[in-house]
Amino acid sequence: MSQKTIQIQSAPEHGHDHEHHHEGGRACMSRRSFLLSGGSFLALVGLGAVPGFAEAAQLLKAGYARQKIGSLSALKAGEPITFNYPYADVRNILVKLGVEAGGGIGPQKDIVAFNQQCTHMGGPLDGTYKPEHQVLGPCPLHLTTFDLTRHGMVASGHATESLPQIMLEVQGDDIYAVGVMGLVYGYSAMTTQRRA
Amino acid sequence: MSKQDSYKAPDFVPLPPKDADVLTTACDYCTVACGYKVYRWPVGKEGGAKAAQNALGADFPHQMMMNAWVSPAMHNVVTHKGKPHHVVVMPDKDATVVNVGGNHSIRGGTLAEKCYNPGNRTRERLQHPMLRVNGKLTPVSWDLATEVMADISKYIIAKYGEHAWGVKSHSYQYFENVYAITKLAMTTIGTPTFAWHDKCSATNDATGLDDAGIDSFASSYQDWSDCEVAFLSGVDPYETKTTLFTSHMMPGDKKFIFVTPHMTTGVAWSVKEGRGLWLSIIPGTDTVLHMALARIIIENNWQDQAFIDKWIAKPWEVDAGYGRGTRNTGWQWRTTWGTWQSDWEDYKKFILSQEESKLDVAAQITGLNADDIRKAAEWMAKPKADGSMPKTSFMCEKGNYWSNNYMNTTSFASLGLICGSGNRPGRMISRGGGHQRGGLSAGGGSGWLSPEKHPGRRKKDFNLDLWLMQGNMRFAWVIGTTWVAAMMGSNELERKMRELTVDNPHRITSLDRAEIFEALKKRVDSGGMVMANSDLYPVIPIGSELADIVFPVASWGEDNFTRCNSERRLRLYSKFYDAPGEAKPDWWIVQKFAQKMGFDKDGGYAWKDSNDVFEEAARFSRGGVLNYHPLATQAKEKGVKAQELLRTYGTTGIQTPIRVKEGKLVGTQRLHDPDNNWGEIEQAEVQIPALYAFNTHSGKAILLKSPWKYAGWIQFYEAVKPRAEKGEVWVTNGRVNETWQSGFDDLRKPYLSQRWPEAFIFIHPDDAGKKGIESGDYVEVVNDTVYIQTGQPQGVLDADLTFNQLMKDGHIKTTVGKFQAVAIVSNEMRPGVCKANFNFPKSPANAVVSAVPDPMTNNYRYKLGRGVLNKVGESPYKHGLTQMSLKPRNIV
Repeated sequence: MSQKTIQIQSAPEHGHDHEHHHEGGRACMSRRSFLLSGGSFLALVGLGAVPGFAEAAQLLKAGYARQKIGSLSALKAGEPITFNYPYADVRNILVKLGVEAGGGIGPQKDIVAFNQQCTHMGGPLDGTYKPEHQVLGPCPLHLTTFDLTRHGMVASGHATESLPQIMLEVQGDDIYAVGVMGLVYGYSAMTTQRRA
Repeated sequence: MSKQDSYKAPDFVPLPPKDADVLTTACDYCTVACGYKVYRWPVGKEGGAKAAQNALGADFPHQMMMNAWVSPAMHNVVTHKGKPHHVVVMPDKDATVVNVGGNHSIRGGTLAEKCYNPGNRTRERLQHPMLRVNGKLTPVSWDLATEVMADISKYIIAKYGEHAWGVKSHSYQYFENVYAITKLAMTTIGTPTFAWHDKCSATNDATGLDDAGIDSFASSYQDWSDCEVAFLSGVDPYETKTTLFTSHMMPGDKKFIFVTPHMTTGVAWSVKEGRGLWLSIIPGTDTVLHMALARIIIENNWQDQAFIDKWIAKPWEVDAGYGRGTRNTGWQWRTTWGTWQSDWEDYKKFILSQEESKLDVAAQITGLNADDIRKAAEWMAKPKADGSMPKTSFMCEKGNYWSNNYMNTTSFASLGLICGSGNRPGRMISRGGGHQRGGLSAGGGSGWLSPEKHPGRRKKDFNLDLWLMQGNMRFAWVIGTTWVAAMMGSNELERKMRELTVDNPHRITSLDRAEIFEALKKRVDSGGMVMANSDLYPVIPIGSELADIVFPVASWGEDNFTRCNSERRLRLYSKFYDAPGEAKPDWWIVQKFAQKMGFDKDGGYAWKDSNDVFEEAARFSRGGVLNYHPLATQAKEKGVKAQELLRTYGTTGIQTPIRVKEGKLVGTQRLHDPDNNWGEIEQAEVQIPALYAFNTHSGKAILLKSPWKYAGWIQFYEAVKPRAEKGEVWVTNGRVNETWQSGFDDLRKPYLSQRWPEAFIFIHPDDAGKKGIESGDYVEVVNDTVYIQTGQPQGVLDADLTFNQLMKDGHIKTTVGKFQAVAIVSNEMRPGVCKANFNFPKSPANAVVSAVPDPMTNNYRYKLGRGVLNKVGESPYKHGLTQMSLKPRNIV
């Protein structure tokens, strides 16, 4: 079995006493423990790229910061890079899709950035980018895929929101993150200024 | 704060405060029915981000996967007791059954968005009773609307008989409503002119399972978790039974055999995991596959002989009225002695003698690789090294029984039975299920008045569509279904309805009750028909263009309701907000009409609330597998309402049939399991033999045969196959994970409506390439030969209801059917087979499917459409970047 799929326990019903039990106890785990627990995409992500996760509640800022996250000249089509924004524990990918995308920047309007936590139940999408389809996923939890050409819309699956899109700006050769469109999994607000 | 029409990707969501009201419910949509909690609190306050400050008891933000998180789609603002309230409708993260830990689908996860809020497209909800006056729907009082309907109904029933007064209704939108509808139509009025939303007649679904003695919902989700091999016929539960698949079937090392021409997400995932087999079958040929698998199993002696010896009916047990008693059962009506029923020795002989069961012949007919068929047989039945059999469970759904209703299900049931499945943990045979189980009949119905019969003396179910096409209906009440898009030959069905209603010169032109009656009387006396429509939204075209009377319906969340899911789990669906305008639940509308008809003299329609209906209906559930009578009895003893007792069971509910042990209510996990035999019964419990034996006279299952050349099948199949000379392809139909039914809610939910704003058609690149079709193009599908049966409800001689004979005798009309959809070109389809969006309001894929029912069951062959694909032009989604992803579904 591929290790890309996380085993999720379906709790046996009360009073059920068959011998065919699955290993349980993973109904709820932090992304940190998931990443540390193994899984082939660790190799794709590289632990070196994972900063310390904020375990405590994040203090929200009043608005979105402007943050340099990459450069046009260094970005290759189909090879995403990761960055954290607008908070240290919010991991995103920056990717040049090779085809025009909603909210895309750059000469081909094909450079986009998205949050990497599945908006279904928070599964990590790290390392799941499919360049031939411009799709992120499937999520290892329940297989949701997201169409990065259409603002991170669900292509197939269970998430009830598009992937939060990181709004980008180009200045010269530099790519800046300037805001977030959507609500990152696990958050109830992205900033203290609310936008419905 | 309001929810908007289109999706705006909000970046915050209000959290429920500590003192928010908490109510339990279950999802309104698919058969799995995940448990949900509704948090409700007045607008003007909000919970805080700390665990101690919100009702979820969670800190925000958090980094815990699968923990409490409110997605913006789970929030809405509604009216409760006349005042604006926030609601958050969240999957229950404390759930220990069904959606364990708060798992959910995209459909259920957006339930909050279905709630009425004038700030978004739910403003299109019907809010007042209306009459079509001078062609325009005009709001009127409940009294006038129901009086107009009662006036013309009395006239029609008196002059034309109850046969002329018909109902086409949902069969599941809660026990209370279905009970009220059946009580009125079947018991009080006593009309045989009745069909559920998904059939042309009041017939069976998976008929072969019923005839074998297997309840379609015998299994529990635990069985789908416990099986080692899942044979999935005409279904990908990932797409259509989401959490059953993701919570109960994905974990572990189970193997999956998928039989479907569409490689959907679950199929693609299982194949990639190395534990899936995709049998990409030619539509309609499942019977042959099942026989080939059975032959391999029998030739290798892999059958479960101990099970067969104990649980398969012997010849004399079969002959005792087809295992069902001697007379007057549906099973007997269908019986053509010797064609179907069998016992082990006879079945074995049958399988080994059939040309079509030979592997090479079967491979050719089904379009499958012989090695894959052999591999499937090995997976499902080859004994392990220690001699034990693999635990295999068999699931079928509409790809199976909506292609060849009778033989696909008889052959499927027999295959499962010889593998030793059907009555024990992890080894079950069941339907996957479509909608939930909310059907409850107030009595036997009036099927005996059906004018139809099989050759010989046997009664046959009433075909409502045929009755309408023949102009025999003078009144139709359409409740909670599209009818047109859901049934076959949709274009012609709509044309006929239009001819009988708005194209008739006699229409309502005033709001005067007597004048209305005169106009409608002239309508029906001139051969026309009066139509009423009860629904949430204006249904295209019945509600929006054709119906004379339109009733606004209150449903999920707007009254207290009850229903079971596909493992018979009964739960309360709590009322938590005010229905819009004057919308009322179906039971209330039935009651109002019954009173105007004068049917309430004995107090039979004097319900004060939905609980009254629930309690009255309890005793009618007693003989069946949805029996909740012991719950109602215990509630009475305790002096509480039955619905309130059920409320205490929360999202866990209780699995029917409910039994009593030492005074306590006990649910039933699985049917037919001999371990359920407790001997003596207690108190209100009812002895239901199907609990601990198969549902036959003898308690043993019946092996059924499936001769591929049976004339009632093969003539039709040959006639509706794609014709190479015309360049036709198969155009089958179905839904995908992100949509539900006709899209009545989806098309108005901000998130889902941008995902699927229009109907899809999946096309293989080989088929698309021939016509220059690319993803995002509008495609018109045309079948210039759609067959519609227009007569001959009665058979006398054996051949009478077969396709060729109907054609020869002039009972088949040939029409043209077409619809338009947006192409998604992808290798997830089998070449030569397209899959279109089933039951999409303006794009009825069933228009290219023939309306000639299976003569054995009077059910349609819904999936067997065909047509020529023509590129019409580019849709806005081809180059647009905000709506309708055109990505394949098999990306894993």
